Parts: sequence; C-alpha cells; structure tokens
Amino acid sequence: MQKLLELKDIVKSFGTHRAVDNISLSMHPGEKTVIIGPSGSGKSTLLRAINFLETIDSGSIFFEGHDVGYRQFKGKQVLDKPKIICKLRTQIGMVFQHFNLFPHMTVVENAMEGQVTVLKTTKATAHDVAMSMLEKVGMSEFADRYPSSLSGGQKQRVGIARALSMKPKLMLFDEPTSALDPELVGEVFATIKQLADEGMTMIIVTHNMGFAREVADQVVFMEDGSFLAKGTPNDFFGTQCQDPRIQSFIDRIF
Amino acid sequence: MKTRIEAITRSVVITTLLVLSLFALSAQAATPDPTGLNADALMRKASNIMVTGDLAGAIIIYLQIPAPGPEGDQGQFASSRMQAARLEFAMKNYSAALTVVDELLAVYPHNIEALQFQDSVKEAMMPQWKRLMQDTIKFVPHLLKGSLMTLLLVFFTIIISPIGGLLIALGRIGKFKPVSRLCWFIIWLFRGTPLLLQLFFIYYGLPAIGITLSPIPAALIGLSLNYSAYLAEIIRSGILSIDYGQREAAEAIGMSDWQAMRRIIIPQTYRVILPPVGNEFIALIKDTALVSTIAMVELMRTADQLFNASFNITVLGLAAVIYLLFTTVFTFAFEMLEARVGAYEKR
Ligand SMILES: Nc1ncnc2c1ncn2[C@@H]1O[C@H](COP(=O)(O)OP(=O)(O)OP(=O)(O)O)[C@@H](O)[C@H]1O
Ligand SMILES: [Mg+2]
Repeated sequence: MQKLLELKDIVKSFGTHRAVDNISLSMHPGEKTVIIGPSGSGKSTLLRAINFLETIDSGSIFFEGHDVGYRQFKGKQVLDKPKIICKLRTQIGMVFQHFNLFPHMTVVENAMEGQVTVLKTTKATAHDVAMSMLEKVGMSEFADRYPSSLSGGQKQRVGIARALSMKPKLMLFDEPTSALDPELVGEVFATIKQLADEGMTMIIVTHNMGFAREVADQVVFMEDGSFLAKGTPNDFFGTQCQDPRIQSFIDRIF
Repeated sequence: MKTRIEAITRSVVITTLLVLSLFALSAQAATPDPTGLNADALMRKASNIMVTGDLAGAIIIYLQIPAPGPEGDQGQFASSRMQAARLEFAMKNYSAALTVVDELLAVYPHNIEALQFQDSVKEAMMPQWKRLMQDTIKFVPHLLKGSLMTLLLVFFTIIISPIGGLLIALGRIGKFKPVSRLCWFIIWLFRGTPLLLQLFFIYYGLPAIGITLSPIPAALIGLSLNYSAYLAEIIRSGILSIDYGQREAAEAIGMSDWQAMRRIIIPQTYRVILPPVGNEFIALIKDTALVSTIAMVELMRTADQLFNASFNITVLGLAAVIYLLFTTVFTFAFEMLEARVGAYEKR
C-alpha cells in the first residue's frame, strides 16, 4: 500500500540549535503514530514542519508519494508558492495545545470558516459538514455558542471538529490535552480514540502513556531532535524494556 | 344747508383756538425759564454736576432745558435729552431712559441717534434668556451651515483614514523592506509634525512645486494623511496584540496570508482598537477647526466671522455647543459599537 506520509532526513535548526535533527518517518493510511519525549526535544517543531508552519532546512516530505512543499531556487531549497502550500495544508488537519479557536466566531462558524473561505464551499454545505463534525465530537448542541463560554475540553473538541471539517487525510495533534484540567482529558481522548477507530491517519504528541498505549500502532521516543527509539506500544510499555534511556524517561513520567 | 354753515363756523373757531394756543406757547418759550438760566448755562451746569459724580442731579438739570420753541431749536434740547437718557442708561434705569428718549422722539421722530439708542435700551431691557434665544435664532442657521462642511470633512476623513491606516499598518508589518520603511517614514512624518503645519504646507506650500489645490481637497488630503498615520499605529498595535496562535490556526486550515488577515486577525482587532480609534475620531471633529486657516469655511470659521462682526460671545458658545453635540453623538455611537463588537468575549 502507498505511504500517506514519508519524511526523509528532516533537519530544522534555530540558529545553531538543531531542533529537528535528521528525522525520517513513514505513515501508511490509517496508521497512528504517537511521539513522546521530554520538553524541548523538538516534537512540536517536527509536527509544524509536516504542516509547513516551519520551513525545514533540508530533507524532503512526501505526501501520497509526491515530494511536496519545497522547490529548488538558486541552488537552495525554499518553500513552494503559498498557493501550493495552502492546498497541502487543507489535507492535513492540525489540533493545537492551546486550541486556537477563532474567538470572534461561533462554534459552528469555526468549523465552517475553512470550508467557505479556503475550499469555497457554499455556506449551506459547509454548515451541514460542520454540524456533522460537531455531532461526531459531541458538540453539536453548542453550535451557536462562542468559544469563550466553553470548557477546555469542549474547546478542544471544537478544535478537532474544525480540523475534521476540512476532510483532511492526516491529523496532527500537538499535546491536545496538556492544557486541560485532568478531569477534562478523558473526553478529548475519547474523541481522538473514536477518530482513530474510524481509520483516520494521525500523529499524536502526548505525554499520556496510557493513551499512547491504547491508540498507537507505532510509538517514537524523541530526544534532542532525533528519534531515539521506535517501536510498538508493547516494546515501550511491555515488561521487557531494553533501552535504558527510554526506561529512564518512562520512569520520569510515571 | 344750515348744518353746513354750522360746521364751517365750528372749524373756524377751532382753527382760531389752535393758532391762539400756539402763540401762547411761543410766548412762554420766549420768556426766560423759571431758574433764570438759559439753555447753554444749564448744559454747562449739568455737565459740572455730572463730573462730580452726581448723575441723578445732572439729569434733573438736563431735563430743565425746554423743548424747542417756534423760533427754532438751538440744538440744546436734543443733546440734553440724549445726555440725560445716557446717564439713566448708565445707572441701569432703562425705563427712565426710554421716557427721556421718547420725549426727544416726540419732537424729532427721525433722530437717528435717538432711534439707535432706543434700540439698544430695549435690547438691554430684554431678559437674559430672551436675548440669548434671539441671538441663537439669529446665529444658528449660519453656524449649522458651517457645521455641514465640518461634518463633510469628518465623514470623508473617517471613510478614508481607516483604509489608509490599514494599508500603512500592513505595509509596516509586512516583510518587504522598502514598503515597510516607507510606511515607517509616513507615520514618523505625519505624527511628528503639527497638523496645522501640514495643512499650510499642502495648501500654501505645494503651489510652489506646481500643485495648486483648492481648500476642500487640500483640507481632506491633510486630514486624511494625518489621521491615516495615527490610525496606522493603532491598527498595527492591534494586529500585533492578536495571539500568534490565531494566525497559525488560520494557516493550518489552508488560509493565505491575506485570508488570515481579513477573516481572522483584523476582525479580532476591532475590540482592541475601537476605543483608541474613537478617541482619534473625536479629536478629528475638533481638529477640523484647523482647516479654517486654509480658507475653508466650516463651523469654526463661521463662528469666527460672526463673532468678529457682532462681538457677541454667544456665537462662540453656540459653536461650542455644536461641537459638543457632535462629539457626544460620536462618543455614544462608539460605546454602542464597542459593546457590540466585544460581545463574543462576554457570552
Ligand atoms: N521559533 C523558534 N525560535 C527559536 N527556537 C525555537 C523556536 N521554536 C522552537 N525552538 C526551540 O527548538 C527546540 C524544540 O522546541 P519544540 O517546541 O519543538 O519542543 P517540544 O518537544 O515540542 O517541547 P514541549 O514538550 O515543551 O512542547 C526548543 O529548544 C525550542 O527552544
Ligand atoms: Mg511542543
């Protein structure tokens, strides 16, 4: 089966600091990858690079088999034209740690905005799609509320619905629950789990081991910009953990 | 027939009586007055008393100067009555002053001085509120006509300057260096110099390089440029105050820079920038007064002209009231707008 996403030797530096250092990763459709790792290890930078919110220094990103997002210009690798980048982004949904909902729009307008403005769907169609996505995340009854009146967990579920409304092929979650009160984490994970069960391809950055274990096909442990270890949840959370660095990180978490 | 003769006889009798009584009057005028002084002496005496400060005493003497007889007036009667009337006026005895002037007018009904004086006494006698109302009725139409031009200037500047301000702000934020520098320069120039100077420059200075503008375009250009520069800084800080996550969220669903700006960033700035923009627009209403210096006839200029012609302070008061009216309406309008625009945060 063709890979949905393939990263080859991605490098991203801030000044002299290599935030992402030579990372490669393959994702087949329907696969779920969980990235774990200490703070500052480059997890967010990697996710943002996949969505072209960060411009990588070198390496390539293949989406549905095509080398995308960058072109050669005067012997240097530069980001492709904005139009092409925007098109690519519509196929990749992103969910942010701090939700980043549009506060001046109602819940349903948040989920309609991308469809109407970017995809040029009619308002009626956009509304139908938005409502069905809100239904999926259990937020349809809040459609006409403004984000400021929602709890953190509700906000994040709207954030997921907003991303889903674009009908993306890949979903990126950057610590979707770390800004939430503990009692609200469950509802968001339930929503993501449901999405996973429906076959969505996704990359999830999280510190929640229990969730990683439940949802992941593949777990990667990232430190100092590189993947230190890759494996199945069982490799990580099973009894026979080989790598002392993974072991020490897991010890720190629990 | 008989009645006819009777009527004629009666009229002859009446005429005779009239002639006789005229004679009698002139005889009395010819005789020296009871005090034994002639009119000239009385005038002198009165003015001597007047300089001692005894105005009432002077008036009594002035009023002793008799009305002119048939052999003609020596001019003393008119001037004595005017003098007496002025003294009464000075002592705020307005009705007494009027009585004296009436006496004069009975003899000389067309005496200009007396007529004018009568008018000003009547004006002085009018109650304060009535005079104010009369002035108001007299001045307000002119002032309102002037206000139309003020409103026109405010209206167009309010349309133009937010657009100009937005363009300058975006240019300044943008990554293209030459445009960014140019926008910085515009802001620096127009915020750093007095609006009055800018108006002078545009109206009186530009002709030197061959650009001659009539007052209205010159005023509009000056006000618009100045206010665009001010609004640009407000809009720019408004845009920068919006969380960067908003921009990323917009980009993540595939929006272009401009779409993110227009749909996500700029609408969120309204809440932040509306209060300072409201302040600027209220300042603008008052700043339009400055264009009166470049031959624009608006509210301030109209008030100035009326004041110079009448020296009536009411004009300036009325102009102040009209400015206050405008600024008040604006203040309330902006408060309502702020409440509506910020509503999404409260719910
Ligand atoms: N825009 C930036 N400019 C400079 N340095 C940056 C920038 N963004 C990230 N970094 C640095 O890159 C490194 C990786 O950051 P990143 O946010 O990807 O880490 P992370 O794994 O997501 O951490 P966390 O778990 O705290 O979210 C950090 O050292 C960070 O300081
Ligand atoms: Mg992060």
